[in-house]
Amino acid sequence: MRFRFCGDLDCPDWVLAEISTLAKISSVKMKLLCSQVLKDLLEEGIDYEKVSKLTADAKFESGDIKASIAVLSFILSSAAKHNVESESLSSELQQLGLPKEHTTGLCKSYEDKHSALQDKLREKSLRLSRLNSVSWRVDCILSSSELKEVNEPTVHLKLQAQGAESGSAETTVVSVSAEKFRVLLTELKQAQAMMNALQ
Amino acid sequence: MLLVLSEEYKEHLAFLPQVDPAVVFEFGRIAVEFLKRGINSKVYDGAARKLGFPITTVQHGVEGLMFLLTESSKLMITDIDFKDSVMVLGFSTALNEILLQLYVENQTTIRSTLTQLAPSLPSYHNLEWRLDVQLGSRSMRHQVVPVVTMLLNLTMGTSENRRCCLQTNPSTLLHLIAVLEAALASMKNNHARRILRNIK
Repeated sequence: MRFRFCGDLDCPDWVLAEISTLAKISSVKMKLLCSQVLKDLLEEGIDYEKVSKLTADAKFESGDIKASIAVLSFILSSAAKHNVESESLSSELQQLGLPKEHTTGLCKSYEDKHSALQDKLREKSLRLSRLNSVSWRVDCILSSSELKEVNEPTVHLKLQAQGAESGSAETTVVSVSAEKFRVLLTELKQAQAMMNALQ
Repeated sequence: MLLVLSEEYKEHLAFLPQVDPAVVFEFGRIAVEFLKRGINSKVYDGAARKLGFPITTVQHGVEGLMFLLTESSKLMITDIDFKDSVMVLGFSTALNEILLQLYVENQTTIRSTLTQLAPSLPSYHNLEWRLDVQLGSRSMRHQVVPVVTMLLNLTMGTSENRRCCLQTNPSTLLHLIAVLEAALASMKNNHARRILRNIK
């Protein structure tokens, strides 16, 4: 069976198994659990005390609590990943056996936070190196051991980037003469024009 | 198979019969704690002061017990072989029983700690990917070149994580997928099945 929220693939077996666990708690509690899981996905922190209080009535053990959080995170994040509308998500979840009230609660929470989730996932996407900051300084070389009067302007550029493989900050310092800097600026302006044309 | 215990080792454990069996049990517990968490020399001071023995004797005793436990867990010797090996030391039967009980209770935990000490190769932890299209470069505009970039997170044992950055074009990626699927399928052929059956 192909499901859109799984990216047109089969639903994983563990999700099918844990949906029956989810059906054990009441739909109101499930909506609150969804909002906690959404807070975790948006990296606002999850309150495990509240979660254990919500699941205490249904007498969930720690394994069941972990499983229900995992299945809710999977459903919400993969629905946002594949850009599924809440009606199709609702019908697919009902096909999988989640009761109607639980499904409506889940889809309402999903619809509210749909764009925020997608923005967060876009931010978390793979980026190799990120440029953190640029600082510059213009100097004028007055003279040197080779020539008495030089009078040449140079630019010192300090680029701070977040390395891809190391994950830590890397600093590069370059000094550029005036002509080379003009060439660099023209090329970068052409690249910027191409980027603007795409947007 | 029997453990071979050297003379020096027997000397180290020679003071064990001179103390109470309860103290030997306590030493055994300390030895297991040290195997799990590392040696804490303050415990030696306290024990030496209480019993009135010099610190080196206490230290040798506890370390001797640790060695006995690790060697026996490593070789996974049976209870009878353990008793026979320990009889060489010339202890009383009560002492031998205490040592045997210590071995049996802690065998699995010691074995799991020992497996973590084996050298490990970097192993797969997580893969992130993205699909890009190169539209132009300084030398040539109006290109369309798809590129798949992957960041492979590897872990070595419990400590460091290595990140490995890879880029490929889609046709190489398809070839990579085909080769990996062939590798998975080779686990299902008769040769592999025969070997797995014998190990299980």
